[in-house]
Amino acid sequence: MHIDIKAEIKRSRAGRIGIALLLLIIAFAILAPLLSGYDPGQQSTDSLLPPSTSHWLGTNHVGQDIWSQLLYGARTSLLVGFGVGIISLVLSIIFGVSSALIGGLCDNIVMRIVDAFIIVPMVVVVILIAAYVKPDIPALIIILSALSWQGGARVIRAQALSLKERGHINAARACGGGRPYIAWRHIIPDLGPILLVEFIYGVRRAVFMEAGLAFLGIGDPMLVSWGEMMRDAMKFSYLDVWQWWLIPAGVMLSLTIIGLTFVSHAAETVIDPRLKGAEVA
Amino acid sequence: MSGKYNIVTYGVAFAIILALNFLLPRMMPGDPLMAIYGDEALIAMTPELKASLVERFALDQSLWQQFGAYISSLFQGDLGYSYYYNAPVIDVIMGSLPWTLLIIGTSLVLSTLLGILLGIESGWRRGSRTDRAMLAGLMSLNGFPDFFLGLLLLIIFGVLLGVCPLSGAMTPYSGLSGMALVLDVLKHMALPVAALTLAHLSGGYLLTRNTMISVLKAPFMLTARAKGLSQRALKYRHAGRNSMLPVITMTGIWLGRLVTGALFVELVFAYPGVGYLTYQALLARDYPLIQGVFLMVTFSVLIANFSVDMLYPRLDPRVSYAY
Repeated sequence: MHIDIKAEIKRSRAGRIGIALLLLIIAFAILAPLLSGYDPGQQSTDSLLPPSTSHWLGTNHVGQDIWSQLLYGARTSLLVGFGVGIISLVLSIIFGVSSALIGGLCDNIVMRIVDAFIIVPMVVVVILIAAYVKPDIPALIIILSALSWQGGARVIRAQALSLKERGHINAARACGGGRPYIAWRHIIPDLGPILLVEFIYGVRRAVFMEAGLAFLGIGDPMLVSWGEMMRDAMKFSYLDVWQWWLIPAGVMLSLTIIGLTFVSHAAETVIDPRLKGAEVA
Repeated sequence: MSGKYNIVTYGVAFAIILALNFLLPRMMPGDPLMAIYGDEALIAMTPELKASLVERFALDQSLWQQFGAYISSLFQGDLGYSYYYNAPVIDVIMGSLPWTLLIIGTSLVLSTLLGILLGIESGWRRGSRTDRAMLAGLMSLNGFPDFFLGLLLLIIFGVLLGVCPLSGAMTPYSGLSGMALVLDVLKHMALPVAALTLAHLSGGYLLTRNTMISVLKAPFMLTARAKGLSQRALKYRHAGRNSMLPVITMTGIWLGRLVTGALFVELVFAYPGVGYLTYQALLARDYPLIQGVFLMVTFSVLIANFSVDMLYPRLDPRVSYAY
C-alpha cells in the first residue's frame, strides 16, 4: 500500500473542498483573539442587540458578543475533535495491531469486547456518563476516546491480519524481528490511508458529540461551544435573533463536519479503488 | 459474526450496560442514595423512607450483594421510582414511548426506502452529472447534525411560513376525534420525521450506491444485458435488488443512530417522546429516570440488532456459507 495519500486527496475535488473548509475553521480558531475585540465570556447589560459595527453578530441573552463566541467555539470543537481523534486512533492501533499479531485467545477476547461496544449506541452511553460526571474538556476527551476506538481497532486488525501474511513480514520475522519491531517498522507504516480515515471518523464523531452534549445542556456551562449557543438561541426562536445567533453557530458546526466528511470520502476512495471514477469530481 | 460469537458479543454488551448503570451512581462521591435517587428525592426523604430504600438496595452490604439486589429488582420489571414525576419509572417511560416509536419507525422506513432508491439511481448513473450532484448533496446533508436540521425546519416551516405547529404531538384540549385527530397528529409529526429522515438518508444512499457500483460489474449483469433485458429490468430487478441486501445488515446500527437522533430532534420540537423525557430528566437530575431510559433504549437497540443478525442469513444465504 505505497500510495501518496496527500496527492490522492488533493486530486479529488471533494478532498480539496474539505481541506479548504477545515483550514478556514482552524484559522478561525487560531486567530480568534485577533479577529474579535471581545472576550466571549464577558457578560454585559447590552443583551440581545442586533448586529452592528461594534457587535458584528449582535449579543446574546446575557450580553456576550456572538461573533467572538462563534470564533472561540471553533477552539472548543477542534480541541475536543482532534484530541479524541488522536487518542482513539492510538488506542485503535494498539488494540488492533497487537490483537492481530498475537492472535489466539487474546485476539478473541479483545474482538468480543470491541464488537460489544460497536453495537451499543454510544451517544446514549456518553449522555448517561456525562449526566453523572459533568465533564470538563479533558474529561470529555477521555470519555469520548474510551468509547470510540473500537470501530477503528476492528478495521486496523483486519488490515494487519492481511499484512502479516506478506512476504516482507515473513522475511523480517526470519531475521529475528520481534512482534513490537514488526508492528512498529512494518505494519503501522503500511496502514497509512486507513489510519487517516479512522482518525477523521474519530474527529467527526467527537465534534458532533461535543456539540450534542452542549445542546442537551450537560456540557461544562463555562465553555463556549456551538452546541451551547444553539441551545440558548433556540429559546429565543420567536424573536429575529435566530438569524445572527442560531444560524451562524449551526452553519459553523455543519461546515466543520462537512469538511471532515469530504476529506474522509476522498481518503476512502484511495483505500477502495473500486469507488474511483465515481467520486465527486 | 458467526452464531456462537454472536451470543457472546451480545452477552458482553448487556454486561457492559448493566455494569455502567450499576456502578456509575455508586462510584460518585457522597451519599450513594443521593446519586441513585437525585435531588428531587431529598424533599420526600423521611428517616423511614431512607431506611427502607437502604434496605431495598442493600446499600449497607457489600458491592456484590448490592449488585444482586439490583439485578433481582430489574428482573421484576422494577426500574425504580421517579420522584420528579411521582410515579414508577417504567410507567413514565411507557407513557412517552409510543410517540418515539411513531416518529422513529416512520423515519426509519422513509429514510431507508428513499436512501435505497436514490442510491440505485445514483449508482446506475455513476460518474454522471446527476450522480455527482446527488453524492455531493447527500454528503453535505450528512454534515448537518440532526438537531440543526430540526431547528432549520422549525424556523422555515414553523416560524416563517407558519404551516406546521411549533411543538407537541397534538393540539392540547382540542377535543378532536377520528380523521381530524389523525390529521392533527400527522401535522405535528411531519417536521420531526422530516428532520430525522433527512439526517439519516445518506447512510442508506451511500451504501446502496457503493454496492450498486460493484454489482454493475458482476458477470450476471453482463448475462442479463446479453439476454436483451430492458434497462428497467436491469436497473431494478437485477442490479437494484442485489444492492439492497447490505442495507439490511445496517438497519440495526441505523436504528441506534435514529434513536439518538430522536433524542435531539424531540427536544427541538418539544415532542413528548422518550428523548424529551430524557432532557427533562437531565434538567431535573432525576437519576432513576435517566437510568431507566438508558436501560430501555440500549436494550431495545441491542434486541433490534440481534433480530437483524438472526434474520439476515435467511435473506442472503451466501452469508451462512461464509462461516
